[in-house]
Amino acid sequence: MKCVTRLAIFSVVLIACTSCQAKEAIRQPSDASVVLPPDDAGGDASETPGFSRGDLLAAFGACALDRAQDFLTRSGTLETALAALVASPGDGNRDSARAALRAAFASWQESEVLQLGPAAPVSVAGGQDLRDQIYSWPLVSRCAVEETLVSQGYAQPGFAGAVVNRRGLAALEVLLFHDGADTACGPTSVIVSSGSWAALDDSERAARRRAYALAAAADVRARATTLVAAWSPGQGDFLRTLASAGPGNPTYPTTQSALNAVSDALFYVEAISKDLKLAPAIGLRDCDVAPCPALLESQYAALNKAHLAANLRGFRRIVEGCGAGYGGLGLDDLLVAVGGGTVAASLRTRALAAEAALAAIVQPDLAAALAADPQSVRAVYDAFKALSDVMKTDLVSVLDLELPASVEGDND
Amino acid sequence: MTDASVSPAARLRQRLLAPHDAAALAVLRIAFGLMVTVSATRFLAYGWVDRLYVEPRFHFKYWAFSWVPALPAGWIHGLFVLLGGLGLAVALGLFYRVAMALLVLTFAWLQLMDVSNYLNHYYLVTLLGALLVVVPAHRTWSLDAWRNPAIASATVPAWCSYLLRFQVATVYLCAGLAKLNGDWLLHAQPLGIWLSSRTSVPVIGPWLDQPWVAFVAAWAGFLFDTTIVLFLSLRRTRAVAYGVVLLFHALTSLLFPIGMFPVIMTTAALVFFSPSWPRTLLARLRRRPAPIPAPSPATPTTPSRLYHPALALAALYCLSQLALPLRAHLYGGNISWHEQGMRLSWRVMTREKNGSVTFIVLDPHSQPPREWHIPPSRYLTRLQEREMAVQPDLILQLAHRIARDFARDGRPGVSVFADARVSLNGRPAATFIDPSADLAHLDDGLGPKPWILPAPDGPPIRLRPLLATGR
Repeated sequence: MKCVTRLAIFSVVLIACTSCQAKEAIRQPSDASVVLPPDDAGGDASETPGFSRGDLLAAFGACALDRAQDFLTRSGTLETALAALVASPGDGNRDSARAALRAAFASWQESEVLQLGPAAPVSVAGGQDLRDQIYSWPLVSRCAVEETLVSQGYAQPGFAGAVVNRRGLAALEVLLFHDGADTACGPTSVIVSSGSWAALDDSERAARRRAYALAAAADVRARATTLVAAWSPGQGDFLRTLASAGPGNPTYPTTQSALNAVSDALFYVEAISKDLKLAPAIGLRDCDVAPCPALLESQYAALNKAHLAANLRGFRRIVEGCGAGYGGLGLDDLLVAVGGGTVAASLRTRALAAEAALAAIVQPDLAAALAADPQSVRAVYDAFKALSDVMKTDLVSVLDLELPASVEGDND
Repeated sequence: MTDASVSPAARLRQRLLAPHDAAALAVLRIAFGLMVTVSATRFLAYGWVDRLYVEPRFHFKYWAFSWVPALPAGWIHGLFVLLGGLGLAVALGLFYRVAMALLVLTFAWLQLMDVSNYLNHYYLVTLLGALLVVVPAHRTWSLDAWRNPAIASATVPAWCSYLLRFQVATVYLCAGLAKLNGDWLLHAQPLGIWLSSRTSVPVIGPWLDQPWVAFVAAWAGFLFDTTIVLFLSLRRTRAVAYGVVLLFHALTSLLFPIGMFPVIMTTAALVFFSPSWPRTLLARLRRRPAPIPAPSPATPTTPSRLYHPALALAALYCLSQLALPLRAHLYGGNISWHEQGMRLSWRVMTREKNGSVTFIVLDPHSQPPREWHIPPSRYLTRLQEREMAVQPDLILQLAHRIARDFARDGRPGVSVFADARVSLNGRPAATFIDPSADLAHLDDGLGPKPWILPAPDGPPIRLRPLLATGR
């Protein structure tokens, strides 16, 4: 009986250990230097001699911060360019503003794949919903933008709290790349039924577009500032939150939960890039008569091809490394280190194959490609599918990636 | 009359009807009721009711139970509240038989609503509940006995204990036999994968990605499951064995998100103790001798006219509980891969399996031919998708639903194929479903499914530890 009592006490102590985790101090990321074992399959010439999971998470966080800072810089440039356009309208300044928006998009579309922590929805651990504030696609509406243009809601104090499809990069794309006199709003819209849209002459419409774009760019820059602050040491310091995942960390109580958050973000290339940006336009879903180029992203700036390429760059920054030439710690280093070199190689080669399929499209954007050579777009879809197949099977298995913890509380 | 002159049937009857202390059964009833109440409360408090039952737009049905309808959100919440109340009534022994029968019906209904929510311990709760409807667990330490002394009794027939012991023994033994395979014993998978990802567990975490730990854990788990019933059954080893049960389930609770399962099993394993263990324990705590319960008129020691039908029913139940887990072997091949006979078989935590499925719909009548790719996420929650992607019958169900939706939208007679790839225990993903099988025109059933492709050859992945001090 004594033996049972002792075992029972030991068992209770073991169970109690789980609840003790919250009381432990937040662990700092390790700087331990270790030697990676040689890879036996799909070898990777890893640049990093040794690392811990905490180091890897710190690298992911540094990457997210680096990309957010890059976007902040570009959104500042965009705002400056738009201020110049407002001050001095003309083709030159308009082209500069358009170029600045393209550059901002190129940066942001990489960060789309890094939606963890502050950029993620509030329903996700650490989420502050900043992504939708910056770029709300597929929640976009040209009509909503045009209604705001007529009401001059962009000049009102409450603009920052307006519905996301009236702000952000998507609204900026409409304002800078669509200058027609037509409206996307139907007859039931007040700007059509009241005649207020038709009452605007070309110059007034153009002036309002410029002013609206400047207000939207300022809002985007403010959101980017918030995002950078949320990640930065000394401010929100989500960098430390991610890197210190483990006992005592209320956001990521285990390193695995943080790794799951990164993995969830990576699945953007499946759920968004493949299933929303490609499949509908090709006609593989939600399209009555294939193809459906109207379902492509970037209807006005025709940047859909560039956006997908940027999504892949963001993906590769996490999988391979965030530095120049995708150097530095990446998920592949972890896979190689634990014996999953084949999976790491698969991820790399399939991401490269998707890039190659995109590069093989000679047309400037996917709408033109769908018209001229639909098979080339299908090849891109197939390449993204091959990539997501590896993620959903091999990657998830080898690293034991799970669903969000809140869903898996009861299992056997 | 000597023992030798007693027929085996009579000896069996004597043994089955011998009076046993009702205390252990009463404690089991109380613990069971409280566990159900706690479980129902967890579901309501953590929002699992909505996530698992309300949010899904599509519900997977059990074979032969497709008639069980999904209920509106308010009803489902109401059922969980009812479940919590019934659990309390059972624990208190208030209107016991009715409360327990309603509890089992409610619990079973909730389980039958969606196959993707299947868990072995939910199945166990259903079975234990069904057995507790039959056994008179309210004869002592219950409000029913207090209200109605005519049913009160300090003893119950011995068959009550035997039936419950058989049920719990079946779980452990089948769980052990399910581990009798190369992946588990020779490659320590999937344990190796799971343990490697838990290196941030306090104290023991840093060792968990060491390969030897996975092997020790795999063999310990196998030996535990296959032998614990024997050691719990022997008086001399019972106490130590129960200590091991506590330790084993404490460790699994610490390492894996298995919710109430450890609590259920540590409670259920108490059925192997002497029926008087609660009185003995109380007496020791009070430093008094344990009272010896006397049989009361409510505990018949002579068979009633229901004896033989009840005995036949019990035998049938026991046979079914042996046959159900063993049926999986009739299909041949790797059960963890094809999953035929996987459910209701106590194959607890024996595989790490992840899949990717895209449904490809072809309309043979359209000109030019049309092809659609339907991602499961269009119909399923993420949890449902993960379950569906590795279970062929669920893939088939969703294919049928997709075909029905196309027919509803004016495209009858489409073909639905599954582009399905699955990774089992870290093996490279392999094609799971015959890509040429038109699932829209295949029926579900208990027979072998030839459209499931054979399991991949080769061993599962061999993981290495991440050689760093900070994990």
